[in-house]
Amino acid sequence: MATHETAPSTKSRRRLFAQAAALVGMTGGLAACGGETAPAAAPTTAPAAAPTAAAAATKPAAAPTTAPAAAAGGGFDWKKYKGESLSVLLVTSPRADVLTKNQKEFEELTGIKVEADVVPEQQQRQKTVIEFTSGNPSFDITQISLHVQKSLVGKGKWMLDLNPLLKDASMTTPDLAFDDFGKPSVSYSTQSDGRMDTMPNNLDFWILYYNKEIFEKKGLKPPQTHDELVAAAKAIHDPKGGMYGFAARGLKNANVPVWTGLLHGWGADTLDPKDMSLKTTTDEAIAAATLYKELLSKYSPEGVAGFNWNECQTAFMQGTVGLWYDGIGFATPLEDATKSKVVGKVGYILTPKGPKAQHAAMFGDGIGITNASKKKGPAWLYLQWATNKANQARLLSSGGGSPARQSAYTSPDATKNLTVPKEWFDTLVASTKVGRPGLPEIIPVTEFRDIFGVALTNMISGADPKAELTKATEEFKPVLEKSIKG
Amino acid sequence: MDVMQAVGPSVAPLRSLSPWPRLRAQARRGLILGVAVFILVMPALFVFLWMLSLALKPDVENTAYPPIFIPRSPTLDSFRQILDGSPIGRYTMNSAVVAGGSTLIALILGVPAGYGIAKSQQRGMLGFVLIARMTPALSYLIPWFIMFRAIGLNNTLTALVITHLVIGLPVVIWVMVGFFDGLPRDLEEAAAVDGASPWQAFWHVALPLGRPGIVVASLLAFIFSWNNFIFAVVLAGRETRTLPVLVFNTLTFERLAFGPLAAAAILVTLPVLIVTVLVQRQIVVGMTAGAVKS
Amino acid sequence: MGTRYIWFIAPAVIVTVAIIIFPWMFTIYMSLHDWQVTGARTFIGLDNYVSAFADRRFIAAIWRTGLYAVFSVTLPVILGTAAATVFHHEFPLRGLLRGIFIMPMMATPVAVALVWAMMFHPQLGVLNYLLKSVGLPPSLWVYSPNTVLPALAMVETWQWTPLVMLIVLGGLATLPVEPYESARIDGAQPWQTFVYITLPLVMPVILVAVVLRTIDALKAFDLIFTITQGGPGTASETLNIYLYLKAFSFYQIGQASAIVVIFFVMIVALSLGALALRERTRWT
Repeated sequence: MATHETAPSTKSRRRLFAQAAALVGMTGGLAACGGETAPAAAPTTAPAAAPTAAAAATKPAAAPTTAPAAAAGGGFDWKKYKGESLSVLLVTSPRADVLTKNQKEFEELTGIKVEADVVPEQQQRQKTVIEFTSGNPSFDITQISLHVQKSLVGKGKWMLDLNPLLKDASMTTPDLAFDDFGKPSVSYSTQSDGRMDTMPNNLDFWILYYNKEIFEKKGLKPPQTHDELVAAAKAIHDPKGGMYGFAARGLKNANVPVWTGLLHGWGADTLDPKDMSLKTTTDEAIAAATLYKELLSKYSPEGVAGFNWNECQTAFMQGTVGLWYDGIGFATPLEDATKSKVVGKVGYILTPKGPKAQHAAMFGDGIGITNASKKKGPAWLYLQWATNKANQARLLSSGGGSPARQSAYTSPDATKNLTVPKEWFDTLVASTKVGRPGLPEIIPVTEFRDIFGVALTNMISGADPKAELTKATEEFKPVLEKSIKG
Repeated sequence: MDVMQAVGPSVAPLRSLSPWPRLRAQARRGLILGVAVFILVMPALFVFLWMLSLALKPDVENTAYPPIFIPRSPTLDSFRQILDGSPIGRYTMNSAVVAGGSTLIALILGVPAGYGIAKSQQRGMLGFVLIARMTPALSYLIPWFIMFRAIGLNNTLTALVITHLVIGLPVVIWVMVGFFDGLPRDLEEAAAVDGASPWQAFWHVALPLGRPGIVVASLLAFIFSWNNFIFAVVLAGRETRTLPVLVFNTLTFERLAFGPLAAAAILVTLPVLIVTVLVQRQIVVGMTAGAVKS
Repeated sequence: MGTRYIWFIAPAVIVTVAIIIFPWMFTIYMSLHDWQVTGARTFIGLDNYVSAFADRRFIAAIWRTGLYAVFSVTLPVILGTAAATVFHHEFPLRGLLRGIFIMPMMATPVAVALVWAMMFHPQLGVLNYLLKSVGLPPSLWVYSPNTVLPALAMVETWQWTPLVMLIVLGGLATLPVEPYESARIDGAQPWQTFVYITLPLVMPVILVAVVLRTIDALKAFDLIFTITQGGPGTASETLNIYLYLKAFSFYQIGQASAIVVIFFVMIVALSLGALALRERTRWT
């Protein structure tokens, strides 16, 4: 990275280094907080974090028009690439909404013109692979689903390692405060060879949604364990009366996180990262699949084998489903009276505890710069802006995700502007402490999801969990081995 | 068209001599016909009316059960959301340019080709056209992407126009072969006797006569290009996407947006549907000639 | 006669070849290679073809495609022929009604497919409501592996019956008058006239429709992709959907290319079969 095109002059580098050093020292205390799985809010650290976080968070947001927010950063020159333009590829999501809605702020701050292209997830994944393979992608910046694209992008070395830039004080505003990013999200963004080719942006945890009205009517308590989950689903389920106990994805591929999320309850995963061996036919894996089968075949709406999140959500919004297990980002529409009939009746709780452990399945995305980009400097400015404290706070208050920055959780702006119930926020914070990656970090994730997804869907129509998992494992094993060798 | 009305199974039986049974039979046949037409038209009508109903209701009503057919609180919000919140103007222009451009080129190439195939009875050529149609479209996408990148045409409307020729050209040739096959030969033979070259015969005799065929050929080529989804998904960029992609992308992340989806669907198909109803007569005439002889 | 018209045909042929020759060569080349998107490309001969035929999912997709095609050829052809005989009559508002009838074929497939997807919803969908209101049990439509193929074929039928209708209508328009007159003199019933005179006379035209439908049904993509993406499980995973998965989800370009070649050979073979059938009926 030494020959980086946008390497700035040594003069400005030296000048800024001092300021950066000062800031690192100031925020250094923050880095210590957050254990293995406690990245985010960690209320205990709030007092320490509050002053810097709150101050910085409000600054860019409050003063976008008086652009020299640069002044706030102690003279960092945001305008050095004035007149350039950037092409940004984003995935349709609340994250992209935050960035596109506030894009003007960046354009005024830097004088760089942004052309953002927002496409659905599936198209973005396709587009990136096709464009990267062609060697000359049409975009400078793209969002990356870490749980799906990380290993592929890492193997292809398609994205720029951001570590050198982070260390380069002439390129990086002191406001960035990298220590603010929770450890799990940083390690999620970091490849096995130590390159960090995306800025951590968002983590997505799976939670349990339940309908409080139904629970009250039946005299039920929100389930804390797998057993209580099954019992509650069973008590509510009355298909003849148009009432269903449970809903979760049955559609192949989309359904795999449901199974891996339940599997976490045994403290287990589908892959041993040490020797890359599949753990998909263990007793735990079979038990989790059996639980999946029971919930979806006995207590879910008819046709759940074809349900993705949207069908589940639509059913839950009708008030005809007691429990729904899915990603945390669905609160906003559930609490919107023009779309939902369960406004104010939704309970948000942590993924129930299994026989051995309690975790929240974790997914995430980052945002990075393509290696082939000729505008790495401006692109790095965009990344710094996109993941700054203000934008991360906005993401949180929109109810659309869980920001990678810890300061977002203590930002008064974020909590004040919160558009969804406090209960949701608390569940999010609790989830950050027990997050565990929901999918294995391998290149053929899509094949993994497809093959095991088919097995799970087959179980809903009655197939035996053990037999299906064995068959799927046999089918997937050569694919995995080939990807490791190749 | 006259022939069409004169013949067919609609010939009244001779046996009934007294007027009463005959009238009764006619009434009965009218009734059967009416029912048959109703059954045939209903599915189409229902789906499009339901689409309209979805687009005019808020999503709470759209997901209600039992379904609400007539909007209780009709709203144009869904349309507004699509019109304001998406680059529909640009995408419409793109669709028009791509469909229009590819149709025009398909006509310039395909009408003479159809004539040539019809006159020289080169059936193998027709087979060739069909072969292009038989290739799974998905297999074109990656090579085309690489090809357009190599010649600097990636993310351009020109590239899309070129790819859409694969859709338009076979349609035009197929319809025109049938049409020119059905034209009376004596006219051109007379022209040939008068010393006209094949080009002159084509230009002055066949082309004017072939106009109904050209109308239907261009219409079908335009519509099939307008409706194409998969080419633009992979080959178009932010500036060059077409309308079907917009509809597909209206599926937002966090919810299934029934109303906006239906509104987008209506905005995309409405132009085509209006044209269809307006020129259905020409379509029938053109297809009629195309079908018989090809 | 032959060469006089070559310059009428040549430009169209040259342009078509120019557009499709590179994809074809690329596909054949790739089908002989193992290509990882992240790097190496190695020549492996016919291995991709061998492994395709050893792939249970591929074989299953072939049968499924066949089944889907049988549904979506026969139903539109039968209904389209029936519709053509109806629209061949004169009645008030015929133009408008005929226009409405052919609307599904003109509508953007992705758009109508999304609307159908909403109508299929097992609990909230309007179709189950309609079934219930006429006293029929609800169906799971595209949400059950058992009913998904017929349900998708139903949409395909809804969409493409109009095309068959137009083609057969064209056939009906050029029928000779004489057979009908003699039938009338012989006192034939309308259905007899239809079965013994009309049907044999329009059979060549119906077979044109069969060929076109066969090609399109085998290649069906937009509808299935938009409504089920091949699910539930693999219950509606036709060849084209499997091809999409291999190429654009798994990025196994070599495997996918081999599937394209096999798929193409199948389409051509079946179409030629149908065309041969047509030639036979023409001469008997």
